Amino acid sequence: MKTNLLILRVIFLSLLSTLSLAQTVEVRGRVTEDGQGTAINGANVLIKGTTRGTLTNDKGEYTIQVQKGATLKFSSIGFVAKEAVVGNSTTIDVALTSEETTLNEVVVTALGIRKEKKALGYSVSEVKGEELVQARTVNLANNLQGRVAGLNVANTATGPGGSARIIIRGNGSISGNNQPLIVVDGTPINNDNLGSAGMWGGGDSGDGISSLNPDEIETISVLKGATAAALYGSRASNGAILVTTKGGKANRGIGVEVNSNYVAEDLLIKRFKDYQYEYGMGSNGIKPTTITEAMTSNSWGARLDGSPTIQFDGQLRPYSAVKDNLTNFYRTGSTFTNSVALTGATENITYRLSMNDLNNKSIIPNSGLRRNNFALNLNANLGRNLSIVTNVKYILEKTKNRPRLSDSPGSATYAVNAMPTSLGVVALEGSQFNPDGSEKVWSDNIYIQNPYVAAYNWKQEDKKGRVIGVIEPRYNITDWLYVRGRLGFDNFNYRSLTITPYGTPFQLRGGMSVNNRNFTETNLEVLLGLNRKFGDAFGVNVLLGGNLMKQVYQNSSYGGSNFNIPFFYDISNIDPAARSLSENYIEKRINSVFGSAEFSYNSYLFVTATARNDWFSTLSPANNSILYPSVGASFVVSEAFKLPNFLNYLKLRASWAQAGGDTDPYNLSLYYGLAGAHLGAPLAQINGDRVPNSNLQPLTSTTSEAGLEARVFNNRLGIDFAVYNRKTTNDIVGATISNTSGYNSALFNVGEIANRGIELLLNYRVATSRDFSWDASFNMGYNKSEVVSLYGDLKTLRVDENRTRIAYIHQDVGLPYSQVKGFTYKRDAAGNVVYDSQGYPMQGNLVNFGTGVAPTTLGLNNSFRYKGVGLSFLIDGKFGAVIYSGTNAYANNRGLLNTTLEGRETGIVGQGVNEKGEPNTVRVPAQQYYQRLFNIADPFVYSADFLKLRQVIIDYTLPARIYARTPFKGISVSLVGRNLAILMKHTPNIDPESTYNNTNAQGLELAGVPPTRSMGLNVNLKF
Amino acid sequence: MIRRIFLITTLLATLGACTKDFEKINVNPNTPSSVPLDYLLSQSTLYIPGSAGDPGYKAWRANFIYASTVIQQMSSVEVGFYRGTVYTYQGDLSEAYFVNSYPNSVKNLVNLITLAKADPKNVNILSMARILRVVEMAILTDLYGDVPYREAGLGFLEGIFSPKYDAQKDIYADMLKELDESIKAFNAGSYIPKTADFLYAGDLEKWKRGANSLMLRLAMRMQKVDPAAAQSWAKKAIDGGIMASNDDTFAIKFSNTGAGTNSNANSWNLGAGRGIANGNNIQWSKTFIDAMKARKDPRLTVVSALKNGDRTVARQRGIPPGTDPTVLKTLDETNLDNYSRVAPNMYLLENPFFIMTHAEARLLKAEAIERGWATGNAKAEFDAGQMAGVKQLTSYGGVIPDAEAAAYNTANPYPAAGSLDDKMNAIHTEMWLITGTTLNHIEGWSNWRRTGYPKLTPVNYPGNETNGQIPRRLRYPQGEPGINPNIQEAITRQGPDLFTTRVWWDKQ
Repeated sequence: MKTNLLILRVIFLSLLSTLSLAQTVEVRGRVTEDGQGTAINGANVLIKGTTRGTLTNDKGEYTIQVQKGATLKFSSIGFVAKEAVVGNSTTIDVALTSEETTLNEVVVTALGIRKEKKALGYSVSEVKGEELVQARTVNLANNLQGRVAGLNVANTATGPGGSARIIIRGNGSISGNNQPLIVVDGTPINNDNLGSAGMWGGGDSGDGISSLNPDEIETISVLKGATAAALYGSRASNGAILVTTKGGKANRGIGVEVNSNYVAEDLLIKRFKDYQYEYGMGSNGIKPTTITEAMTSNSWGARLDGSPTIQFDGQLRPYSAVKDNLTNFYRTGSTFTNSVALTGATENITYRLSMNDLNNKSIIPNSGLRRNNFALNLNANLGRNLSIVTNVKYILEKTKNRPRLSDSPGSATYAVNAMPTSLGVVALEGSQFNPDGSEKVWSDNIYIQNPYVAAYNWKQEDKKGRVIGVIEPRYNITDWLYVRGRLGFDNFNYRSLTITPYGTPFQLRGGMSVNNRNFTETNLEVLLGLNRKFGDAFGVNVLLGGNLMKQVYQNSSYGGSNFNIPFFYDISNIDPAARSLSENYIEKRINSVFGSAEFSYNSYLFVTATARNDWFSTLSPANNSILYPSVGASFVVSEAFKLPNFLNYLKLRASWAQAGGDTDPYNLSLYYGLAGAHLGAPLAQINGDRVPNSNLQPLTSTTSEAGLEARVFNNRLGIDFAVYNRKTTNDIVGATISNTSGYNSALFNVGEIANRGIELLLNYRVATSRDFSWDASFNMGYNKSEVVSLYGDLKTLRVDENRTRIAYIHQDVGLPYSQVKGFTYKRDAAGNVVYDSQGYPMQGNLVNFGTGVAPTTLGLNNSFRYKGVGLSFLIDGKFGAVIYSGTNAYANNRGLLNTTLEGRETGIVGQGVNEKGEPNTVRVPAQQYYQRLFNIADPFVYSADFLKLRQVIIDYTLPARIYARTPFKGISVSLVGRNLAILMKHTPNIDPESTYNNTNAQGLELAGVPPTRSMGLNVNLKF
Repeated sequence: MIRRIFLITTLLATLGACTKDFEKINVNPNTPSSVPLDYLLSQSTLYIPGSAGDPGYKAWRANFIYASTVIQQMSSVEVGFYRGTVYTYQGDLSEAYFVNSYPNSVKNLVNLITLAKADPKNVNILSMARILRVVEMAILTDLYGDVPYREAGLGFLEGIFSPKYDAQKDIYADMLKELDESIKAFNAGSYIPKTADFLYAGDLEKWKRGANSLMLRLAMRMQKVDPAAAQSWAKKAIDGGIMASNDDTFAIKFSNTGAGTNSNANSWNLGAGRGIANGNNIQWSKTFIDAMKARKDPRLTVVSALKNGDRTVARQRGIPPGTDPTVLKTLDETNLDNYSRVAPNMYLLENPFFIMTHAEARLLKAEAIERGWATGNAKAEFDAGQMAGVKQLTSYGGVIPDAEAAAYNTANPYPAAGSLDDKMNAIHTEMWLITGTTLNHIEGWSNWRRTGYPKLTPVNYPGNETNGQIPRRLRYPQGEPGINPNIQEAITRQGPDLFTTRVWWDKQ
């Protein structure tokens, strides 16, 4: 707002200035960014003591008529103003220092209110849009990993179209939402994962933040937790991510920016390094000699000898190790992104219009994503006191064949992982179908697909059109009192089509389903703001407001199984009786009233208190109102006291807040589902497998935090440190219960979860000179979570299970969040493994292996700049979590792991005792021995610690003189790479980050899309 | 100015207060809060053979993968999947019946019973639901032993999230009491569901005979472990009147709409849904085919065919138990196409799903007479049962003339003069054939475990879980111990959670 007024004023003044006829000289010059050399467009050049001035053009150049001896003041938003006296020279070039390194940094806080950072009693981190555009990720959230202290981002192992799990300061809820609220230009957007894989398979259908275009983003402000986000009430118990998009700029004429980005993506791991390549397909040490024997996913056959051996299709092929299955099956993927933006201004309006096209090909054949983003930002000043900001975005996203994860049906990845040592994907590609067109089964398990059939014949397509908009009028009643309205809406239409092809071995006549969803959230907010100074020392800043939130989800789907005419995929080809049809209307509302008051003293002491009351439609009237208070204080010590010289800036802060949350609609009572008819009789059953609970109460999340910010040694070293304590009570949990109760889960308010941790950010300007600079930035977060208590006497709650049914995720009292639990070996008192009378290891009790959520996250970013060339790299890592690998458990079962080589010829006498306590002496065949290990989780639980070279960027900004005579105003080129290397990991065959969904149960893995690296080129042109 | 501020502030304050519609908004408009009880009766009946979502889910795993192969009615060379063939364990297969029944059939039946009790006019629905609950619980306890019974399915009604495991002894006692009370409570003067009754279309007399026959089955199951109770319940059942003709057979009717819901679960697996019969996945066992051939069983050509449809008796051939693809190579016939499998008429989607046939009731009555627990002519009951078993295949489109049934009965006569063992062998070999040819393998397995007839030779495949013995039960879901500590009590009482642990009634 201020910005716009200022710009208007300057435009007005510059018009005046042309009328001035005093005796003057003409001064020219260029305003650039200190250390970078890049032009500053639209910088103010003001003759001090007058109201006359001008603006720089997009090359940073200005011309001004001025009297000798006058002082010119150069300023621009985001930079420290500078002054220069007009002497004899008629050329004055000025380099402005970025405000980033100065003290009066302004950040976006809750409700989109910009505040000086020093006034904040809590921690806020900002990521600039330009950090996200060069080495871009299809899902924006993945690009935040490693950049913000304490931000834990995990993405589903599904390739580009997948969702991300963003966690700030730990998981506060067992089964509720743990992700921050995503707010785009003041409008909360739906970030729900539209579909995910579970133990029985499925695909990840993406989320909301993944649709945003990084080119449009000015800043991302991360409000870490309830203390920062308290004004968002119940929706901010997990913090908030505020995305501010770029607005118009006061260019001269229309500014055009074109950006092209192409990256190629290929497998990071070209073959399974910890598979065995010595024994071939078959069972019991025998090489297959019949088709029936060859139809197996077992690699328990004979030693590979290269001899022609029969395979599932009756062909003879060498009995040798096939090592290039991964590279043969997966292709080189690519993402090509092009964007154009126009910016400009008229007297009363600034605008920005941008378009973006992203075209992605996944490494899985026949799979990819196309996204188009359109955005219009308009900022209009209507008269002296009224302004209106309008932002509208339209996003169209089409995805082709999202990969299926976890369990085998329809999964190409699972099939490739399961292929016997001596079977090549080339053979499978060449023999996909039986003569009748049905899929040719290649193993003894009809649920394992031919990967090519899974990629080309199974279908999983979806299309999402989304509109996000906000209209925000603001009226200044006086210069210290204003009222602001805001109507924000987020609407998307989603349609997905899934086809199980005709001739699928386990579903012979195939099936299909179509799902249409329409989601709308509208927020109507009114805010009254008061901002007043009393004398020189005291300031008061008060907000009062209310918000009406309404969410409507309309969901309709139809589908069925058994097509009549083979290979014709339309609902009309399924018998009406076999069609299913459902329609859902889900509505939810939250009404809120809120207020905040900030008191400041001498601009070094700030105290803020906020309160918000939410009323929920999803809870019973007796329990549906809750008040969320917060208080915070900030003390800028360096402005209050004289500190030693090396200490340039010191601020202490502390805050306390309560936030909370409700539940989904219709969770309070039991409903029946109508399920068609049988022999003329209608059918109905209890709907859902969750026990409803009419007494649910809102959950409460209480956070206190303290921190300090400091800059030392001439502002070269910056420190931002936070310590926090977050406690969730009355968490609403849908916990797994014994299904002998008739239900798989029950909803109840459970005890308490604690998250305590620290966040540290260090910035160090290692070197800075005219031509060379080196900036290093290190951030880390450590979060210790503990499930303090559960419901009643309950000591453990199950939240998920792996397809192998050997490993689970539990919440256990006294232990960190998301425990990986599994069956261990049966052991005697001395710790020896116990073998049964036949010589096989026995299954023991369920034990905890550790948390599946990494407590420690860190990132290290270094950027070097020499003249126009820059190099930066980001290393990030997570530590302290474990992962159970279903991929390796199955690979072991199939004889694919190199750990299954021992004893192939001789059999195995397991080290340990029998049930009588005597040493085990029974020799058993290797295949059966290792297959017994399937029932034991220990061998397949690994530390999930890792360090990755996440990103490297080499960029070059062409010196302006090269293109001075062209229409170009800026040209830069960069070479970019993402996920270039895993510097450290402990998980054989799999990516330690691999997960098949982004639910609250983390620590289980099965058949994710393998990790990839991407490399490419980014070209940015401005004219 | 002041007025404007006042107005705005008032507006803000009233925003939040408008919550009076909230309760209405939070009522689900898509699903009703109550439905006619008929709807619930019909759906919960279908949940006994079927499963929500995938109609063949539990039937495939429990009935075919384990039960049918364990007792050598069927066999599969896919020993890594049809694990009953070689007595190996896979969690999701072993637990399928358990994890699918409680949240579907058991929950909905328990709920229906509670709702029906509220109004005396629903007494007939109540009795039907109680009997159906016994049917499902009997299968569960016979498969697993001690299982949650009294506290099962009460997650919503009573907030029981971790039901106790009841001893099988107590479950049996209560199931018998339930049958008795339900039979007595039927009232022709009250409302009778007809279209919603997929067993007898509202014929209460058939219900009574069906329920008495189930009572006889449960009674005879206790023959070894509690002969006194077995005797008194068997007598009560027979006195009450068991099934008298094949029209009385306790079976759920289906239709061929193509929809999973309307389809017989066994047919779904064997044919349209999963195609495991024609896919050479599971075939008749050599033990079974050889027995039928030896007895000149006229049912053979109804139930069995080669892949090309050939039903010639001489060319029917079963897979020897324990045959894997490597052993298959060593056999005279190495092509699975030339082994017998379930014939297509057996898996039409509209075929009835058998829970208990008239024939079984008659054979059990013959046994009861032989044991002196009932009066009557054992041979007459046996003959009637044996011939009824043959005629039952009419349900599969296999119309066997009476003369052929009689000839079969003559060729396999009742050893009236023989020892009790001989008689048991005759009765229960026929029971094995009836359960096999009506695809009721789970019941076949239970009956075999109690009686040991026919004598089966176990296989001893590498890595089997039983040390080469035929399994005596299925293992509990691996997921249970972590969420329901009550399972420990059951394991302590019953024995380790293994295939070899015997359930209460399965006395050595």
